[in-house]
Amino acid sequence: MTDPLPVPVPILRLPRGPDSSGGRGFCRDSRGNSQHFPELQAARAALRERFLRLLSSARGRPARFWLWSGISVDAVFGAADAEPVAFQVDSLRTPLGVQGAALLRCGDVLAFSFPL
Amino acid sequence: MNDWQKKSPLDWETYLNKLVKVIAVEKLQYEGWVLTVDPVSASIVLATFPENEKASISFIMGHAVQEVEILREGDSHMKQRLARIFAPEESQAYSPEELEKRKNALKTWLETNHIPVAEQGELGRTLCVAGVLTIDPPYGPEQCSSSNEIILSRVQGLVQGYLEKQH
Repeated sequence: MTDPLPVPVPILRLPRGPDSSGGRGFCRDSRGNSQHFPELQAARAALRERFLRLLSSARGRPARFWLWSGISVDAVFGAADAEPVAFQVDSLRTPLGVQGAALLRCGDVLAFSFPL
Repeated sequence: MNDWQKKSPLDWETYLNKLVKVIAVEKLQYEGWVLTVDPVSASIVLATFPENEKASISFIMGHAVQEVEILREGDSHMKQRLARIFAPEESQAYSPEELEKRKNALKTWLETNHIPVAEQGELGRTLCVAGVLTIDPPYGPEQCSSSNEIILSRVQGLVQGYLEKQH
């Protein structure tokens, strides 16, 4: 007996493969930056570490905070969160009296400073 | 995001240890030596050393910065002065020899209790426990540092207990 006729199999059209430049869909620009990426990340890390150390040195110190519209308030620096999004302060002196503890939104604060 | 916030960390790095004038919104102006620029918020941290007054540190929020002008490069003396601001507080009470003794005693005690500990850092002054916690001089519970709260609290308790037994 002869072999049965092979059943034709439908051919799938696969999606186009990666282009020859090897981008694999990644943005071209970021590949250009990848040569600098380790330095970029090292710079980012060093700057951030300094920033976090300085924030921790602020803890417990009386500071002046400059807000919008020429307003400035005095308070004792407590803590800051990650971005920072807000600062926690103690003994915030306001025109209405001294607030034991308060949160100052970062968007409301223009600058703050404290003596070493 | 303003132009300052859009800069690259490599750009911000070029401002370190320089005397700058920062012009912020609402006509606020700050002059001082750049200690750092936060890569997350682009906030600038300046140190100022006014004569006959205490040095002060100012943080200018990234969103408030309009312009930063470099006035002067810092010389090596100024760089040292700025670097000292970062150095973790040197304890006045202990001499270098005493600190070395304390470090070795704590290290030995940890090893006796089967806790892996190694020295790290350029001068070997920092102890590294199990690769996840560091202890800086003068090697007390307050000088323990870790991102793992549970390990931090356990080791602080151990160090506290060890120090209490010494007295």
